[in-house]
Amino acid sequence: MISEFGIILLYFILGFVFVGIALVAAYFIRPSHPNAIKNSTYECGEIPIGEPWVRFNVRFYVIALIFLLFDVEVVFLLPWAIVFKGLGWFAFIEMIIFVVILLVGFAYVWGKGDLDWERPKPYIAKLSDLVIGKKKQ
Amino acid sequence: MLGTMNFPILTWITFLPILGILIILLVPSGKDEKGQELSKKIIRWVAVGITFVQLILALVIYLNYNPALAGVNNLKTFQFVEKMSWITATLPMVGNINIEYFMGIDGISVPMILLTAIICFVAVFPSFGIKKAVKGYFAMYLMLDLAMMGVFCALDFFLFYLFWELMLLPMYFLIGVWGGPRKEYAAIKFFIYTLVGSVFMLLVMIGLYHSTGSFNIIEMMNAANFRGDSIFGGLNTTIRYVAFMGLFIGFAIKVPLFPFHTWLPDAHVEAPTPISVILAGVLLKMGAYGMIRIAFPIFPDAFGYFQTLIAWLGMVSIVYGALCALGQHKVGKRDFKKLIAYSSVSHMGLVILGLASMRPEGTVGAIFQMFNHGIITAMLFMIVGVIYDRAHTRGLDDFGGLAKKMPIYTGIMAVAFFAAIGLPGMSGFISEVLVFLGAFKSYPVLTIISGLSIILGAAYMLWALQKIFFGVLPEKWQGPWDPTRLIYKTDDVNGLEMVALIPLAFILIFLGVYPNPILNLMTGSVNQFIEIMKPFVYIGGL
Amino acid sequence: MMDISDLIKSISLFKPETTLIVTFMLAMILDMAFKKSKNIAGYIAIAGLVIAGIFLFQQTGVNYKAFANLLVIDSFGQFMKFIVLMSSLIIIVFSFFSNELHNAHTKLGEYYTLIIGMTFGMFLLVGSANLIMIYVAIETMSISSYVLAGYTREVKRASEASLKYVIFGAVSSGIMIYGISILFGLTGSLNLFEINQFLSVNNVATLPLLLSGLMILSGFGYKISAVPFHFWTPDVYEGAPVTITAYLSVASKAAGFAVLLRFFKTGLLDSVPGTSEAWQLLGNIDWHYVIAVLAVLTMTLGNLVAVWQTNMKRLLAYSSIAHAGYLLMAVSVMNDNGVSAVLIYFVFYMLMNLGAFFVVQLIANKLDSENIDEYNGLGYRSPVLAVCMTVFLISLAGLPPTSGFIGKLYVFSSVINSGYIWLAIIGVLNSVVSLYYYAKIIRNMYLRDVESAKTKLVFSPVTIAIVLMLAIPSLLFGVYFTPIVEWANYSMNIFVGN
Repeated sequence: MISEFGIILLYFILGFVFVGIALVAAYFIRPSHPNAIKNSTYECGEIPIGEPWVRFNVRFYVIALIFLLFDVEVVFLLPWAIVFKGLGWFAFIEMIIFVVILLVGFAYVWGKGDLDWERPKPYIAKLSDLVIGKKKQ
Repeated sequence: MLGTMNFPILTWITFLPILGILIILLVPSGKDEKGQELSKKIIRWVAVGITFVQLILALVIYLNYNPALAGVNNLKTFQFVEKMSWITATLPMVGNINIEYFMGIDGISVPMILLTAIICFVAVFPSFGIKKAVKGYFAMYLMLDLAMMGVFCALDFFLFYLFWELMLLPMYFLIGVWGGPRKEYAAIKFFIYTLVGSVFMLLVMIGLYHSTGSFNIIEMMNAANFRGDSIFGGLNTTIRYVAFMGLFIGFAIKVPLFPFHTWLPDAHVEAPTPISVILAGVLLKMGAYGMIRIAFPIFPDAFGYFQTLIAWLGMVSIVYGALCALGQHKVGKRDFKKLIAYSSVSHMGLVILGLASMRPEGTVGAIFQMFNHGIITAMLFMIVGVIYDRAHTRGLDDFGGLAKKMPIYTGIMAVAFFAAIGLPGMSGFISEVLVFLGAFKSYPVLTIISGLSIILGAAYMLWALQKIFFGVLPEKWQGPWDPTRLIYKTDDVNGLEMVALIPLAFILIFLGVYPNPILNLMTGSVNQFIEIMKPFVYIGGL
Repeated sequence: MMDISDLIKSISLFKPETTLIVTFMLAMILDMAFKKSKNIAGYIAIAGLVIAGIFLFQQTGVNYKAFANLLVIDSFGQFMKFIVLMSSLIIIVFSFFSNELHNAHTKLGEYYTLIIGMTFGMFLLVGSANLIMIYVAIETMSISSYVLAGYTREVKRASEASLKYVIFGAVSSGIMIYGISILFGLTGSLNLFEINQFLSVNNVATLPLLLSGLMILSGFGYKISAVPFHFWTPDVYEGAPVTITAYLSVASKAAGFAVLLRFFKTGLLDSVPGTSEAWQLLGNIDWHYVIAVLAVLTMTLGNLVAVWQTNMKRLLAYSSIAHAGYLLMAVSVMNDNGVSAVLIYFVFYMLMNLGAFFVVQLIANKLDSENIDEYNGLGYRSPVLAVCMTVFLISLAGLPPTSGFIGKLYVFSSVINSGYIWLAIIGVLNSVVSLYYYAKIIRNMYLRDVESAKTKLVFSPVTIAIVLMLAIPSLLFGVYFTPIVEWANYSMNIFVGN
C-alpha cells in the first residue's frame, strides 16, 4: 500500500516518463533537415532587430506594484461582502480600518510623487560643456 | 576583642581601596607654582595613605586574631565573619539561588592578608617612578589591591571567583600600559593563561553549586552536603577527579607550577618594578592559597588520587626553576629579572611539595614559605628596580663592582639573596626546613632531589651577587648615576627606596630568628586541614 | 472555530501591536506633513513604542491563545517583546546621532517608520503559534530589515549588504517554507498546538520529521545567524548603517530565539507542561544534540573568525555569531532552566552589545572609519568613552564583575545542570578565545599610539550620557542581578495551553 505521498511521487514519475516517451518517439519519427532559415528565431520570416533584453522603464514596475496592492485589497473585499450581513457593524468597522490603512499607503505613494508619470529629462549637451576644465553639472 | 565587635573589618580592609580610587579619580589635574604637577603628588600620597591604613587594619586583625580557633571547615571557628544574603532568586527547578556576601578568616588567610597589606604598602614607593598616566596607574593599582585582599577574605565561592577575576583586568593594564618593550605580548599572555585556568574553575564552581545548593565553600567541604544524585555526589568518581584537575590546573597556572609556568618569566620581565613585586609577592600566593582553601579540602578523595603526581610536579618545578635560573648565567641575554622569575618557579614548587606531603610540618612550612617567598621576592624585584632605574638595564653582564659604589644597597641585597638561598638565620631557612622535614616523611626520594636543587639555588644567587657587586666596575658606571644630581642625590639607594626595603629586610631577619608570630597563627588551622584530608591521603611517617 | 468573543478578547490583547500599526501610519503621514522636521517620525516612533510598552506591561500574567490559536500571549512572549521594544527604542535614539544616516538623506521618515514595521514583525514572530503566521511574521520583519540594511543607498557596500541579505533571506525562507509544507503533510495542520496533539497520538516517520525540522530551523537559524546559516551576517553587518547592524544583532536575534524556543516547546513537547525537568520531545529525534551541534559550530566559528577581523563592525558581527552560539547552548538543554538562561542573557546582551555598537557609531562619526586601528590611543583621547567601551567589551567576553558574566554563568549553569559537561567545556574555551579579540580592542585603546593622545576627541554630553546609561547597568547587574533573574524566572514558562 503506498501512502499519499507515494501517489504524488508516482504522479511525478509518470509525468516525466510520459514527456520523455513523447520526445523520444518524436525524435525517431520526425524528419530532420535543418537549414539557416529554419534555425532562425522566428521561422515565419521576421528578422529580429536589436537585443531581446530591452530595459523596461522602472516606472512600469512601480505602477505594477501599486496596482497589485490595491488589487489584493479588492480580493479581500469580496469575501467580506459575502459575510457582511452576518457580522454586521463589527465587520463594517473592521473593513473601514483595513481600507484606511491602505488609504494611508495610497496617500504616501501620492505624497512621494510615485503616481506622477514623469518623463525622463535627457541631458542635452551644451556648447559650454566643451570648455576644458569646467565640470558638468 | 575586635573579633566579637560589630566592626566589619574585613569589608573595610577589602573595600578601602575603592575610597582611594574615588579620590584619585576626582583629583583635578593642576600644576603648582613650581610647575610640577600637583595632582600626581596628591595621587601618590593618597595611594600611600590608603595602603598604610590597610596595613594598620591588617595589623589589627593580626593582633586580635585568636590562633586557638581553627577555621578551615568549621564555620563557628572562623573569625571576623561577615555573612549576609546578597543575591537571592527563586529558581523553580534548582531551588533558591542564594549567593552570600560571606567573608571570614582563619589561620591560613591571616598570614596572606598580612603579606598582601605589607607588599601593597611597600610597592607604592617604587611606583613613584611611574611618570605616564599616574591617575590610571594608581587607580588600577588599588583595584588590584582590592581584588587580592578580597580573594583572601572570601568564603563564598562566587565572591571568591568575582575577586579572582577582578584582578585580571588591572593586571592586564598594569603590565600592558606601563610595562617594558614586549608588554603587549606579556600582558595578553598573562590574561589568556589565567583566564583558561579560571574558566575551568567557573565550571567546577557551577557544578559544586548544583551539587550542594550553595556557594558556601565551607559547606562544600562536607561530603554530607552533596546530594547523592548530583554531579559531584559520592566519592572517588571520575567526574570528581576531572573537576579536581580543573580546579588544580586553574590554581597551578597561578602558582605557577611546571608546566603551566611559561607566562611568568614574560610577565615579570615586562612588568614595571612595583607590579613585579606584587605579582611575585602576592599574586602567586593566590594559586597555592586557592588549593588549600578550595581544591584540596573540597575534593580530598581526588587529591588523594593525584597526590603523588602533585608531589612530582612540585619537585619538577623546584628543579626546573632552579635550572632555568642557573641557565640565565649561561645563555642568551642575561636578564636579572628573569633569573628571579625562575627562582620564583623553583620556590613555589617548594610550596606545592610541602602541601603534597600532607604532613602538618610540611603544610605549615608551605604556608610559611608562601609568606617568606612573598617578602623575599618582593625585595629582590625592588632591588632590581633600584638598579634598573639608574642604569636602565637589567643585564647581568652590564654590572660589576657595585659594592664600592653602593655599599648600603649591597648590604640590603645580600640580606635578600641569603634569605632566598635559605641561609640559617633568615626566614627562608625555617620554611624550607619545615617543608623538607614534612616532605621527607612522605616522599623521601623527591625530597632528596629537591634538596639538591638548593645547591643550585645557592649557585645562581651567589653567582649573580658576585657578578654584580664584586669584580671591576665597568667603565660607563664609573661616574655618578645622575651627573645633574637632580633625581639621584647620591649614588646609593635613596630614602624612598629604603622605606620600602628596610622593613622587608627586618621582617626576614626577625622571622628567621623568631618565626613563632607567624607559625603560631596557622598551626591550629593546619592541623584542622590535615584532619579533613587524613582519611583520603597518604601521609608518611604516621 | 473562531467566535466573536474570542475575536474581541484577542483584539484587546493585540493592543501593543495595534499601537505599533497606528504609530507606523502616523509616522508616515506626519513625516510628509512636517516637511522641515528631520526627525519627526523618530519622535512619533518613540512615543508609539512607549505606549506599546505600557500596553505590553498591562498584559502581565495573561496567558491566552488569541485569534484562534494564531498568536499566543504569554509571559515569555512579553519578556521577549520587552527586549525587542527596548532595543527599538534605544536604536531610534542612536539614530538621532548618526552622521552616516543624516548625511545620506535629508529626511529619515521611512527609516523610523520601517523600524516600527520591523518591531511589529518581531512582536508577531515572538507570539506566533502557527507556522504560516511564523512565516508571515519573519517576512514582515525581513522585508523591513532588507530596506533598512541598504538605507544609505549611496554607499556601495550598503547596497551590496542589502542585496545579499535579500538573497540569503529568500533562500532560507524558501527552505523554511518547504520544511513547513512537509510538516503540514505529515501532521495535517499548521497550528503548533494541533501538530503537538497529532504527534503525541500518531507515530510519524522519523526521517521526514527530522528533515522538516531542520528545514524550519534554517529559517530560524538565519534570523539568529547560527552556523551554517550565518553567511550573510558579516557582510550585512559591515555594510548596513551601524544603528541597523546593532538592531539586527539584538532585536532580530531575540525574536528568532523566541520563536525557536516556542516552536520546540509548543510544537514538539511531549509531557505535562511545568513539571518536566527536561522537555521530552516527540518524534524519536534527539533535538538536544541537533541544537548542541549547531551551538558548538556557531560559537567556534564565530570566535575563531572574529580573531582575524580588523573592521569593528565585522568583528562585532562575528562576535554576535558567537553569542548566538552561547545562547543556542542554553536552548540545547531544552528545559525551563535553559529558557530562563536565554532570557537573562538577552537582557545583558542587549545592554552590552548595543553599547559597543553605539561607541563604534560615535567613533565612526568623528573619524569616518570603523577600522580597529582607529581606536589606537582612544583611552587617552576620550577617556570616558574608552572606559565604557572597555566595560562593554569585558562584559561581552563574560568577565566578572560585569553583567555579561552573569549571563554566561546562567547559560553554563543550565548546561551543567543538565549534564552536558562536554558542551560546557567547549563553551568556556570559546569564551577564552573571545577574550583575545575583545582584548585586542582594549589593547588598541590603551596600549597603542599614546602620542595621538594629544588630539582629544570631544563628544556631546548627551551621547556620553547615553553611553553611560548603557555602561552603568552593564556593571551594576554584574554585582546585583536579583531583579533580572526573578523577572526571567517569572517569564520562563512558555504557554502551551491546557
